[in-house]
Amino acid sequence: MSLAGYRIRVQRRASVPGWKAALFSVLAILFGLILFSLIFIQAKQNPLEVYRQIFRYAFFNEYGLGLTINRFIFLAFASYAFIIPFRAGLWNIGMPGQLYLGALAAFGVVYAFGGKSGQVSIASGPLIVLMVVAAMVAGALVGGIAGFLRGKWNVNEIVVTMMLNFILFYLVSFMIKDGGPFMNLGGRGESFELPDAARAPLIAGYPYTLVLVFLFMIALQVLFARMSLGYQIRAFGQSPPAARYAGIKPFRISVLVFLLGGALAGLAGYHYFAAVPGVYKIARTYGYFGDLSFYGLICGLISLGNPIAALFMALLFGGLSIGGRYAQGKLHLGFGVDFALMGVLMISLVAFQFFYHYQITFSRVPKSRALAD
Amino acid sequence: MFKARKQEGIELHGDIWKHIQPGEVVLEARGITKRYPGGVLANDHIDFKIRAGEIHAILGENGAGKTTLMSILFGLLQPDEGEIYVRGLPVRFRSPEDAIKMGIGMVHQHRKLVPAHTVMENILLGHPRSRGVIDVKTAEEEVVAIAERYGFKIDPRARVWQLTEGEKQVVEIVKALYRGAKILILDEPTSALTPVETERLLESIETMTQDALGVVPFITHKLPMVLAISDEVTILRRGRVVDRLPTAEATEQILAERMVGRPVIFTLQKPPHEPGQPVLQVEGLSARNNKGVLALKNVSFTVREGEILGIAGVAGNGQHELAETLFGLRPAESGRVQFLGQDVTHAPILDRWKMGMGYTPAERTEVGSIGDFSLVENVAMNYYFDERYNRAGFLDYGGLRQLTEQIIEEFDVATPGPDVKIQTLSGGNLQKVIMGRVLSREPKLVIANLPAQGLDVGATEFVQRKLLEARARDAAVILISEDLDEILALSDWIAPMYEGEIVKLLPAAAAKKEVVGAMIAGVYKENEP
Repeated sequence: MSLAGYRIRVQRRASVPGWKAALFSVLAILFGLILFSLIFIQAKQNPLEVYRQIFRYAFFNEYGLGLTINRFIFLAFASYAFIIPFRAGLWNIGMPGQLYLGALAAFGVVYAFGGKSGQVSIASGPLIVLMVVAAMVAGALVGGIAGFLRGKWNVNEIVVTMMLNFILFYLVSFMIKDGGPFMNLGGRGESFELPDAARAPLIAGYPYTLVLVFLFMIALQVLFARMSLGYQIRAFGQSPPAARYAGIKPFRISVLVFLLGGALAGLAGYHYFAAVPGVYKIARTYGYFGDLSFYGLICGLISLGNPIAALFMALLFGGLSIGGRYAQGKLHLGFGVDFALMGVLMISLVAFQFFYHYQITFSRVPKSRALAD
Repeated sequence: MFKARKQEGIELHGDIWKHIQPGEVVLEARGITKRYPGGVLANDHIDFKIRAGEIHAILGENGAGKTTLMSILFGLLQPDEGEIYVRGLPVRFRSPEDAIKMGIGMVHQHRKLVPAHTVMENILLGHPRSRGVIDVKTAEEEVVAIAERYGFKIDPRARVWQLTEGEKQVVEIVKALYRGAKILILDEPTSALTPVETERLLESIETMTQDALGVVPFITHKLPMVLAISDEVTILRRGRVVDRLPTAEATEQILAERMVGRPVIFTLQKPPHEPGQPVLQVEGLSARNNKGVLALKNVSFTVREGEILGIAGVAGNGQHELAETLFGLRPAESGRVQFLGQDVTHAPILDRWKMGMGYTPAERTEVGSIGDFSLVENVAMNYYFDERYNRAGFLDYGGLRQLTEQIIEEFDVATPGPDVKIQTLSGGNLQKVIMGRVLSREPKLVIANLPAQGLDVGATEFVQRKLLEARARDAAVILISEDLDEILALSDWIAPMYEGEIVKLLPAAAAKKEVVGAMIAGVYKENEP
């Protein structure tokens, strides 16, 4: 393409260094924010003021920051649930289903010890450990179905995880709504509340699951950078035929990554319904958190499967979901502005991935050449 | 926009080729320069001319810039600098369509035909006339006439997947001619052909030049062929023309030296070596190809320590299935494979690596390596399970890096370092890393599938020497190759394959090239002398 004497060309680039990838993400976020200002201008608001409100509440307001951190933890687990299969070239979009069953399993443990009545026949420590283990095992089992089918018969994992989401959504409904075993006696269409013994301890006012996020970040980093298993997952993700030739067993990798991914999604479910202060029950709007977990997928994709970079994305989207909702109420903006903003940012980030693979070059067309044409 | 309209305006094609005198310059390239992102100068001011009735070979190693030049001449790439003239008229090709309109035809090395379609359908596919209604009958007659004119045999109704590589090549050439190509660019025209097919193709090319056509074959390593057919040779090295000479003044030695930039040894030293115990015993092995057709039929042989078994054959005669079945990448339909006395017919691939089998695949970029991985990570493909580099599940990347540096050193791999992505390496260097990685395990059996295919003279020589070294340290080697000279030079035993069967096991000392050539072409008769 030529423009005003310049030739503009799009060229494939061989690779992009980490700092450049980070720079593109920052530029993408700025671009998305600028683009979305149009919506605020149209609503007769000063965009700078709106963004100030959003970010101030999300990150600098004591109450808002607490909410942001809760969302951050949730999104971090959800993005790790996506990243592990993603590094093996497989797509886990079953975080909702996995976290639903994870939450049900955690509540199931409490139920088994008589917790529905408000008292449990077990000490708090072991109970919480059992809840976490149950949530992870349950999530892993849901994920494992997709991994097994994929590894054994090459059934598409996207379809399987997607469909399981629907099944498990209604399973939760069955369990907590009228007549379900986990039904809240108040009949509000939500689950029973966790007794005090089952509520997760707080560290400096934040759920202890925050510590788990960083432990898993280190674990994943070590897995992929240092361990033989991580190497095998990456090799399989890059080239299944080459991995097979090297003796890596496709079935084993498929099942393993989905078990691990599912376990982390289960943990996300545990976190939001059993560890976030003030919740401690499977809320009536549990579907909202299923949808929110897809932002974990976005975080994983944008960070190209890097467990550290994914945390920055999780913090950003966690903060925006909280700050956006706050600004919407405070400034009387239209309904759904928070999700629209996150959507625009997401699309902008995805679109900017173009620059990971291509670069645009400008060169002056020589005069003589232009004439020769 | 103006440019585009003018291009369309040049429907000169018919006119431009009128009244051609033999010896007149029909295609000229001046100062062609192409720089790739990253600063690689693939073509550096290349000039060359082709005259009517001339066969002008372009010779060069991999990475010398042949493919780039060819793509520019055919409009697949645009040069950064330089001009192309067709009969003195400056032209600019924005796509292959422009090049075809100007009478330039190209026959690709990797055939670009649709296997499920018939020959005729493939020839008409994308032909300008096929947009309207085609009189298939007339078209068929025209195609057959063209083929006959140049001594090709062609069945317009055959399905392409049924054809041999040689027949597919003929279809490609006829397709180009049917579109009115006056200048034919041939990319490695004989790389997949049997000796008999090669002979026939060369005769046809001779005929073409009588019609005042220009033929430009691009060749990597088949020097005898250059000498046999071309009138003039242009030699490329590192993107530049290093020499241009009439073929009459050239010898193999001169061409190789100019091309590589140093003297090349042509005859490999294969010292006599006493074979030892049997390493691999294969009995009645059969397997299916990807279409589910039985492609390997009841094959039996034994390879012993310090012995090279050469599997000769034209592509698609079961050699590939044999290699994959021996290494467990393809399930055996029936039969038995014993490695060092153990039945491994159905053993997992990982066990085979651990037991001391090694395989270098023909698909080096898809199977043999992982492009986005560094050299170190690619070397890890054969070591991630090895106790020397895997301690309690943790990989010793430091040790692997050292190992990679050793391989780079010993195999003379041209690379900026062990941490670059392997996809930045040229084909020859990639193969050196793969061979180095597999051979560094000191396997007791090496299955080398087309180890030198597509490599330049220098890398070919190197890879072949390494296989002989493996033999010298008493490894059993199975060498699969489509190059009869390579098979004859390296093997102790030769197994020519035709249609999934080994025609006959021959001791290499007594094997004649013509006999093996007849066997792989399916025209060998037991009783004839």
